Amino acid sequence: MIWAGVVLLVLLALAGAPLFAVVLGAAMLGFVAVDVDLSVVAINIYDMTDKPLLVALPFFTLAGYLMAAAKSSERLMALTRALFGWMPAGLAIVGFVACALFTALTGASGVTIVALGALLLPMLKSSGYTERYSLGLVTTSGSLGLLIVPSVPLILYGIVAQQIGVGEPFTIGQLFMGGLGPALLMVLLLSLWTILRVGEVPRTPFDACAVWQALKAARWELPLPFVVLGGIYSGYFAISEAAAITVVYVLIAEVVLYREIAWRELPGVFRESMVMVGSIILILGTALAFTNYLVDAGVPQRLFAFMQEHVTSPLTFLILLNLLLLLLGAILDVFAAIVIMVPLLLPVAVGYGIHPIHLGIVFLANLQIGYFTPPIGMNLFIASYRFDRSMLELYAACLPFMGVLLIALLLITYVPWLSLWFL
Amino acid sequence: MVAAGRVAERWLGLVETALLVALLGAMIGFAAYQIVARNLFGGGLTWADGLVQVALLWVTMVGASAAAGANRHIKIDIVPRFAGPRMRVAARRFTALGTAFLCAVLGWTSIDFIRWDFIDQTIGFGAVPAWVCESIIPIAAGVMTVRYVVRAIWPDRQPELPP
Repeated sequence: MIWAGVVLLVLLALAGAPLFAVVLGAAMLGFVAVDVDLSVVAINIYDMTDKPLLVALPFFTLAGYLMAAAKSSERLMALTRALFGWMPAGLAIVGFVACALFTALTGASGVTIVALGALLLPMLKSSGYTERYSLGLVTTSGSLGLLIVPSVPLILYGIVAQQIGVGEPFTIGQLFMGGLGPALLMVLLLSLWTILRVGEVPRTPFDACAVWQALKAARWELPLPFVVLGGIYSGYFAISEAAAITVVYVLIAEVVLYREIAWRELPGVFRESMVMVGSIILILGTALAFTNYLVDAGVPQRLFAFMQEHVTSPLTFLILLNLLLLLLGAILDVFAAIVIMVPLLLPVAVGYGIHPIHLGIVFLANLQIGYFTPPIGMNLFIASYRFDRSMLELYAACLPFMGVLLIALLLITYVPWLSLWFL
Repeated sequence: MVAAGRVAERWLGLVETALLVALLGAMIGFAAYQIVARNLFGGGLTWADGLVQVALLWVTMVGASAAAGANRHIKIDIVPRFAGPRMRVAARRFTALGTAFLCAVLGWTSIDFIRWDFIDQTIGFGAVPAWVCESIIPIAAGVMTVRYVVRAIWPDRQPELPP
């Protein structure tokens, strides 16, 4: 009976059922198997009102949607171009930096490809970069900012990991610090590779006047990173408070100061962003119920015992973890992957002596690459749809970028110091 | 019948948007007020943090119900993406039916939990009883059940688009 349910659930998942329903079904099956009343699932969903940190998710998400609805992407492009355009392969570096920052703020790779990629692609091609390189850049950079403050996936990892509460305790602020080094490494490696590979491409000479113009245009948005980071690291605000300040600030900047979003458009933006938040947090709520079942049933311990029998060194474990996560990143949405896999993997990783922050960074770095892993990474579909190119063209364009990022991933995985230097 | 359904869906959409704007607006307003009050007057409203967190549950459930209406729930859509038109429609009927069933079970079993909190007079936040805060779980689960039943009967026939 239970096994028939499991088979049915797997079929549902493969046929494209919403993930919250699949996780909900899994939790219910588990509780039915151990004779627990099913109202426990609703209790677990209601328990989310006990996690103050969660409030940060709708706030940061709304702020990101507002910035995407305004012309923030154009201002960000203009500013990074004025600042970095004079360097060798300057425009490509502009692309990496702008995409990383935009993804960090909006928390969604689709938005970056649609908003920034559409600006960048024609610019890159007209500046002498090959079609293939340009396509690869806009497709792969859509997920480049996953490790940068205040990326929503990073916050979600923190919430889930703290909920499980194994290994060394850490703050979300420390998790943010942990992501900076690896993110910088990725941008650096990509830039170096581009300089070596692309060779001489016309540069824009440095122009102080253009920098001034770009700074002036972005004057209302420029203080934002300082408000968020300064507030968090000075210990002045909690993360959820910084998120509230951010959303108030962005509302005022885009609606009142820039006047790029009309008041009557606001309900639409609110609704769109909350559709996203609702689907993420509902998965989180059902996954918490499922996690409780797994912990009660002792699944993480058994998984760890099984792993220990076959895998003795932490290094081998990490290699296996990378393979598993790359695969998962290609089929699962990043939020779903976090809420479903972290409860299983974190206790095992801690058993191998891996720090929870390090695991989080490795986890997200893998998912970031999974986003454009053929054949079904999400970025590939979005880019194929947005730029009207065949999937095969995109596979070829993304492969070299994937190679560079895999090198970065290996370094991040095997040099924990990169994510933990500040501890 | 179908026309009446469309009208109901439009009204439901408006109610959801209005709720989301009001709830999110209240969350932002109270969260911001609490920060100001704590730093300037040395203390905020005792019930406001509770309100913000219950509002988050409501935003989640209403947002999830809107996502069901717009077919925007996160899913692994390998089969529907690569399948032919007939297979795709069959897969959509099957998944919608399964999802409707699971939502119905969630809604039904949550009523038990809410009834206990009603009998025990548990408080949610401030003076608001917990059962009022929790009531959104069966309501949203019910709306989602109906929406997925409708999807099972009249599935989308278009190919999958990226989000």
